[in-house]
Amino acid sequence: MASLGELERAVMDRLWSADGPIAATELRDGLADRGLALTTVHTVLSRLEHKGFVVHDDARPRRFRARGSREDHAAELMHEVLGQAGDRQAVLARFVGGVDPDEARLLRELLARATGPDDINR
Amino acid sequence: MLPATAAALAVLAALLAWPVPALLARARWPRRDPLVALVCWQAVGLAGGLSIIGALLVHGLAPWGSSLPEAAWSVVTGRSAEAAVRGDHWVTLTLAGVLAAELVGVLLLSWVRTARARRRHRDLLEVLVRPSTQPDARLLEHPAPVAFCIPGARPLLVLSSGMVAELDDAQLAAVVAHERAHLREHHHLYLLPFVAWEAALPVLLAAARAHAAVRTLVEMRADDVALGSLPGPAPRRTLAQAIVVAAGGAGGAGVPSGALAVTGSAVGARVVRLLEPPSPVPAWARALALLSAGLLLLVPTVLLLLPAAL
Repeated sequence: MASLGELERAVMDRLWSADGPIAATELRDGLADRGLALTTVHTVLSRLEHKGFVVHDDARPRRFRARGSREDHAAELMHEVLGQAGDRQAVLARFVGGVDPDEARLLRELLARATGPDDINR
Repeated sequence: MLPATAAALAVLAALLAWPVPALLARARWPRRDPLVALVCWQAVGLAGGLSIIGALLVHGLAPWGSSLPEAAWSVVTGRSAEAAVRGDHWVTLTLAGVLAAELVGVLLLSWVRTARARRRHRDLLEVLVRPSTQPDARLLEHPAPVAFCIPGARPLLVLSSGMVAELDDAQLAAVVAHERAHLREHHHLYLLPFVAWEAALPVLLAAARAHAAVRTLVEMRADDVALGSLPGPAPRRTLAQAIVVAAGGAGGAGVPSGALAVTGSAVGARVVRLLEPPSPVPAWARALALLSAGLLLLVPTVLLLLPAAL
């Protein structure tokens, strides 16, 4: 049994690659290799709706589409990650914070100058 | 009359509010042993809170008894004060209450806000990321070279496709090892007390310095742990290269300029200590530092709990 997270990703991939809004039954048929029950598809869709990734129209049966593109959501996330300051570091630990171009150049020079720190160490 | 305990605690609080953090932030040895330095900072942060709130409480409760347990017991059992309760007693009691409530409130608030932000990030990541070639890391399609981890009950380690494109396998492994060290040692918890201090007392400049110092030390500690698990012939150089690439590529995009000076110099310090490894702190000095940290916590605790002999 696949995790809900994985199912959510599969459904979003379908919605993102679809031409327009699609119904839950079409989604189920599209994911036929997973052998999903229609109720499972609806569960996943309502979770995605709750998280703000999916919206539906008022047609009968209801049809679903992604609220934003994959790139929109990636950009939203990256904006948060790159813009982090102060207590945002409590939220996530970023490998390296941004530095200004001058310092970046300085660091590259430092790296080029240094000779085998690992040899000293062993 | 001012109880000797209150005076001693007040002196300790004053030392911990400025001279001690200033000295520790300026010292050179922490980068040689980030873990011991982190322990010392935790002791400073906790002992600071204990001594200032303790000093205020002991003075405020002095009319009810000469020691905190005795006075607290008198108040709880509803006995009336032995000495006259003056205005300054009420002022210090109020201050103690306000400060304690503020510290706890700020902690809770930042906990809730952090949890909410993490949940949103996790929701986004769950639909966006794919498995990566590095075990337990996920891949996010984005040109900026970025790596980060989200701590918590369900930790997530994320590499951007830009990062994967710019680094070779050994460098990528170094980045993952660094982030994994953050997760395994729960580094986000080391930062919590200082988030609270800085938010509760923005006028206390030492709080901001302490927070910045701890942030840097946590990164250095993660670098050290990562080095231990890297197989290549030159792990220090590999990790330093990864840092420089990540720092250069993210070039200030969307980063508030106020944050630049702090993170910037910290990144530089990390690279320097990787390329020119400082000699390790001798065992006796480590023991001394840990002992001082222990005493720093023990002294205010004992002063607060022991019945005053004076």
